Amino acid sequence: MFRDSRKAGAVASPYFAWALIFILVPLAMILYYGLTDPSGSLTLANIIAIAQPEHTKSLLLALELAIISTVICFLLAYPLGMILAKNKMSSQGLITTIFILPMWMNFLLRTFSWMTLLENHGVLNGILEFLHLPTIHVINTPAAIVIGMVYNFLPFMIMPIYNSLAKIDDNVINAARDLGANAVQTFLRVTLPLTVPGIISGVTMVFIPALTTFAISTMLGGSKILLIGNVIEQEFTLTYDWHLGSGLSIVLMIFIVVNMVVSAVSEKKDES
Amino acid sequence: MNRKTNPVEKIYMGIIFLFMYAPIVTLIVLSFNKSKSRAKWGGFTFQWYLNLVQDSEVLNAMANTLIIALIATIVSTVIGTAASVALTGMKRRTRSLIMGVTNIPMINADIVTGISLMLLFKVLHFDAGFITVLIAHITFDIPYVMLSVLPRMKTISPSVYEAALDLGAEPFFAFRRTILPDLAPAIISGSLMAFTMSIDDFIITYFTKGSGFDTLSTKIYSEVKRGIRPEIYALSAIIFVAVLILLLLSDRMKLQSGKLASRARAGGNEKIKKIGGIVALAGVSLAIILMALAFGGVFSKKSTQVFVYNAGEYIDPEVIELFQKETGIEVVYDEFESNEIMYAKIASDGAAYDVLCPSDYMIAKMISNDMLMKLDWPELPNAQNYIGRQYYESAQAFDPSNEYAVPYCWGTVGILYNREMVHESVNSWDILWNPKYKGEILMQDSIRDAFMVALARRGYSINSVDPDEINTATADLIEQAPLVQAYVIDQVRDKMIGNEAALGVIYSGEAIYTRRENENLEYVIPDEGSNVWIDGWVISRDARNIENALAWIDFLCRPEIALMNFEYITYSTPNLAAQEMIEDEEIRNSKVAFPDDETLSRCDTYVSLGEEGDRLYNEAWKKVKSAD
Repeated sequence: MFRDSRKAGAVASPYFAWALIFILVPLAMILYYGLTDPSGSLTLANIIAIAQPEHTKSLLLALELAIISTVICFLLAYPLGMILAKNKMSSQGLITTIFILPMWMNFLLRTFSWMTLLENHGVLNGILEFLHLPTIHVINTPAAIVIGMVYNFLPFMIMPIYNSLAKIDDNVINAARDLGANAVQTFLRVTLPLTVPGIISGVTMVFIPALTTFAISTMLGGSKILLIGNVIEQEFTLTYDWHLGSGLSIVLMIFIVVNMVVSAVSEKKDES
Repeated sequence: MNRKTNPVEKIYMGIIFLFMYAPIVTLIVLSFNKSKSRAKWGGFTFQWYLNLVQDSEVLNAMANTLIIALIATIVSTVIGTAASVALTGMKRRTRSLIMGVTNIPMINADIVTGISLMLLFKVLHFDAGFITVLIAHITFDIPYVMLSVLPRMKTISPSVYEAALDLGAEPFFAFRRTILPDLAPAIISGSLMAFTMSIDDFIITYFTKGSGFDTLSTKIYSEVKRGIRPEIYALSAIIFVAVLILLLLSDRMKLQSGKLASRARAGGNEKIKKIGGIVALAGVSLAIILMALAFGGVFSKKSTQVFVYNAGEYIDPEVIELFQKETGIEVVYDEFESNEIMYAKIASDGAAYDVLCPSDYMIAKMISNDMLMKLDWPELPNAQNYIGRQYYESAQAFDPSNEYAVPYCWGTVGILYNREMVHESVNSWDILWNPKYKGEILMQDSIRDAFMVALARRGYSINSVDPDEINTATADLIEQAPLVQAYVIDQVRDKMIGNEAALGVIYSGEAIYTRRENENLEYVIPDEGSNVWIDGWVISRDARNIENALAWIDFLCRPEIALMNFEYITYSTPNLAAQEMIEDEEIRNSKVAFPDDETLSRCDTYVSLGEEGDRLYNEAWKKVKSAD
């Protein structure tokens, strides 16, 4: 709509300036800190530090928990998305919002509430005791962290999956059935492939925050379980080593970039 | 396809629904719980809702959250929409390059975004606070706006706009009349998304906020560590119900406007316009009211302030009130969890706080790193007259000529145990390694205190920097880790009161309070010895309000204030005049509050470990924490 691209540039310039100063320059700062030592000379030590057993362990554990959480989110969200998409009732918008609504309650409060539910003498065990069932010990274990992650990030999985399911034209499904595909075949050969973009964006939106969280692990892990996010946070707030913290952040970014490339490639494939 | 929902589907939705709402129901129930402890139901009350009206801290945090979210949404919507409109006029390659950059804050980990902005602000010497948080929020909000607006923009044909231009319309006028109406739904949904993200953000705010500034998220995070005030449950219940009502209303509205729209085609167009107008008006006026409220909260700063950084739960809030009333100085009060966290904060920004309350060894470290200011003693008459000489003499261990610190509290570290759960005599740190108490042990989430326990148990010096001894202690702590329920600081208190654990490492000052709340709790200093500590008030070298800071310190040394404070926090006061005024004889002669010389002879003070020692401890601590 701009006959003159210079004008377009002028309209976009506030944003360009913003993106340069507050997106690109800060990332450059992380690279700078991560690749130097306190005296300012170049070093790879802060990156290689990921090989220290306690760092490797926290990274691997974070990866493990993030993958488990993502898979659980997917397994919970997909059927739900299908149910929501199938029932195209007039109040459908409302039902969707009901699953998004918890996000309006502060994320930390919701997590905190899980502490109350899962504690040894918490609500859940209270109910179990009342029913004369054996109590469970979940709080301050990795399982509690996974529950917290699934709970907090589930809406991020539901939304894109639901959206991509809702977009599927009923006629496509009907055509598949008319051509003799059974329900399973229709699902595997038609529905699932059509929702791949939604799945990918859901996976990304769950996996990355789960991989990098430190608040959930602190609250539900009783500060006993260090994830890579906790290690980085502590380098800044506790041990005051910005260089090491930045170096480990760079390592974390590598994982994010890998995730991005994987999803971009599969999206490309999907388009062609 | 319009089948009815079958029972399996209903049950499935029900389960997920339960999962999503169980915590929320819990919070709402807690907001009516008379007992402050979330572990117990103490009867029904509206008290927290009433208290909320007066709780300026929580309300301020709420106002900050709203105003940040509002301004960030408006700015990011304008910038993001302009950028989206302009981008469609650009070459495809430029566009995808720019979108790549735009997506970074959305795809990148929040922690990395937060840290990167924090580094930027530090290097630019931006004062962290309202503005830095706002900038950060705008930065991560823009992608949400663009992601919503750009696809919509691509579908809009420019021909009508161009026709308007050809007819002589000004470009902006033409844009407003031809393109903007088509774009509006996308802009609204984008800005709603931005608003939601901004309201819910914690991590990025956490790294970019400065001293004395909190949003609801950061406020809650700091409270989680020591038990959340029930007022916050009340507030969140109100927010939740408000949002729920808004959503139900808007859903109603959509249905109605749908019906109206079909009627409108038959000629009722005016009515829809009217309803739309009313809704818009209501929205705008609500926004203005919120803004006014929030601006009031954010900018009604008094001219004189003092920035105080104290340990958690370490003062009677009434004392702060009294000080403000008497001096007219506004106290910006923040709490830290451990000395190390305080150090990291002051090291990165010495001007963030004026007056601090670290422990002995940390004061020594700060003195040697030239981070403190020598006190102007003539300005501190109460500190000179009422704080006992012996405490100044002990303080010389870390402040050799008594130039920097005024003792505030002192005490020991010991084991608090529950007699109902521990049926043996507790006289050794060994009991914290007894597998019988697996999952019932609370350790301090503080490097020095955790290692003190392990070192003292082995009979080593609690200030050991001998690598072999530290390795042994590390191995011991790793061995202990599976038995530990959690590493906590201020939470030890509530968890022990609520019978959540049998044994906890705790500071002596908490012994009196916890005993008052739960009579089964007993405090002991193990035979192997322990740590005796002094916390003192010091002034940061880069403090901006030195006179006010001095006034603050001296106010706390006034005997009746020190007494009042002691009775609230129950940490032993070095204020001799206050000690004499303690009415409760049992407490005045309490061996826990004021241990005898025999006990003290078993205890050592911490000294600063030096850079190499700190490094050893830090690395060892990380190993312990990631062991389990």
